[in-house]
Amino acid sequence: MTDSLTLPAAAPAGGTPRPAGLPRLLPAAGTVPVDLRAHLGRHGPLHYTGGPGRLVAEVAAAGLTGRGGAAFPVARKLAAAAEARQAPLVAGNGAESEPASSKDRSLLWISPHLVLDGLQLTAEAAGSGSAVLYVQRNERLHGRLAQAIAERAAAGIDAVRVDLVPAPDRFLAGQESALTSRLTGKPALPAYRPVRGLPRLAPGRPALVQNVETLAHLALIARYGGSWFRLAGTEEEPGSMLATLHLADGRTNVTEVPLGIGLAGLLGLDPAAAGPGGDIVPSAGGPVQAVLVGGYHGAWLPAAEAARLPLANAALRPLGAAVGAGVVAALPADRCGLAETARVARYLALESAGQCGPCFNGLPRIAAAMDHLAGPRPDQRARADLERWAGLVTGRGACHHPDGSVRFIRSALRVFAAEAGLHERGRCTGTDPRPFLPLPAGRPLSDADWS
Amino acid sequence: MTGITHTTALWYASRATGVVALLLLTAVLLLGILVNRQGRLPGLPSFAVTGLHRNVSLLAVAFLAIHVITAIVDPYVTIGLAAAVLPFSSGYKPFWLGLGAISLDLMAALILTSLARARMSRRAWRGIHWLAYAAWPLAVGHSLGSSSDTRSGLVLSLLVGCVLAVAFAVAWRLSRAREIPRASRAAAVLSRMPARKADL
Repeated sequence: MTDSLTLPAAAPAGGTPRPAGLPRLLPAAGTVPVDLRAHLGRHGPLHYTGGPGRLVAEVAAAGLTGRGGAAFPVARKLAAAAEARQAPLVAGNGAESEPASSKDRSLLWISPHLVLDGLQLTAEAAGSGSAVLYVQRNERLHGRLAQAIAERAAAGIDAVRVDLVPAPDRFLAGQESALTSRLTGKPALPAYRPVRGLPRLAPGRPALVQNVETLAHLALIARYGGSWFRLAGTEEEPGSMLATLHLADGRTNVTEVPLGIGLAGLLGLDPAAAGPGGDIVPSAGGPVQAVLVGGYHGAWLPAAEAARLPLANAALRPLGAAVGAGVVAALPADRCGLAETARVARYLALESAGQCGPCFNGLPRIAAAMDHLAGPRPDQRARADLERWAGLVTGRGACHHPDGSVRFIRSALRVFAAEAGLHERGRCTGTDPRPFLPLPAGRPLSDADWS
Repeated sequence: MTGITHTTALWYASRATGVVALLLLTAVLLLGILVNRQGRLPGLPSFAVTGLHRNVSLLAVAFLAIHVITAIVDPYVTIGLAAAVLPFSSGYKPFWLGLGAISLDLMAALILTSLARARMSRRAWRGIHWLAYAAWPLAVGHSLGSSSDTRSGLVLSLLVGCVLAVAFAVAWRLSRAREIPRASRAAAVLSRMPARKADL
């Protein structure tokens, strides 16, 4: 769970048909977690649309995109599901295997009924007779969700049966192809899959996979409409999203923000007060040197540059970054960005599924070189070697693990280039040796982890 | 041997590219075995061995294409286009050319499935890739049977060297048959990396 929840002060008018302002997914105040009565009291009953495909137009009007990281248009997946010859199995993805993200489990813990509403509506839209909720292994969370599902069964709300499936505690277990593999009883390993169409559990058995936050947004769009959804966010990227913030003072917050919100406001950065050179930017949590956007498959940005940018793919993608699953971390000025990147690079290398040679051979070598660069007086060729090896693994995996990992490491080589130069001369600006970015405790890895 | 004239040039080209193609195919097979057992080459990161395997195989295809085309075009013996791909349909040395045709067909299957690898299951690709162990001996048989070049002198010793190298590589592969579990593959590679000296 997160240290605390930051909830914007603006309180929505309780009980009104179209709540204004944020938060939408999380309660503004009151009891947490939200039980079925409080949920129905706030949002009203769940209205089924009465047939497959009927929700597609409203979701298309809303412009909702997947909140698991890929930002794929939800309406296109729903339309493909409604047109599929055989009704797909609907899966809510709450694996949240990114160690720096905690928004999905926060949402599942606090507002499980919104997610379960969305799962029912998606199953109806896809014409599907059953659904699964794939959630990271966590006894308390699974207990809470089982209780919420039982509450709904007792109240006769659900049209289709929902099964809880535990997600293995591995970085790639949340990938769509890993999820579909797990649902067929095989290890949760990512796989090659055709670029087009829905993933398949077996020939003729498609699956429709949506992130749990996406499902929660869908439940609100079904109630309040697409134009209401667009009241938040930008024209190109409408709506709100849950973000996991890692502030410079070490606090972690899950908060709901409109897409397009300024990173400066999100992290309390004050670029006007930046010192000479302007590369260290003061913030509410202390001075910040760089901002990580999009988690461990995302990219570092210099703090001064990040302070001018919105949390929107339109602005971030040209810079090699992306909103992803909404992880934003402000690296304090007293940490070494290269050391932080080296720790995460080692973790990413060890999380390789071990299926593709370029990934399980290349990432450890890249991680070792990154660790070398984070140490004293690294070889002058280390940076060129890293760039070359990064090029050799890009696009060579069954899944995008090598590409995402290399994107993250390359961004560190750009943003912390001056720091690397200092290391080559035997100096380092990092004075605080404590790790900053969250990583799971080291553990022996076993093939059994994947099932 | 007589001098190279415009009528014999194609014949010489076909024989020469055949020898080079066989050497390259041997290299491809050796590199493939190395990739499969996660072996290393001095001075190369192990993932670059995969790239080398791929690139040398493309080079071999180029030589193979010239070898086949010059043999077909050459008027000295008549080998039809069909005989190059349909086994044992050649009028000239049907058995030995048939071995070459089977080998060529198998290699085409290997290359096409590798190009389409992203669109097929790993198991199917792997199954077809096993055919490499049939394609190479067939190519060796074709070389020995259809050309007198390979039965003496330098070319014969090259061929013997190739066979010994492949035999050694297969033995090495079998001795390393125990696979590292998937989950520990990256950890095994990482543990072989030199550790850095100390913190700053």
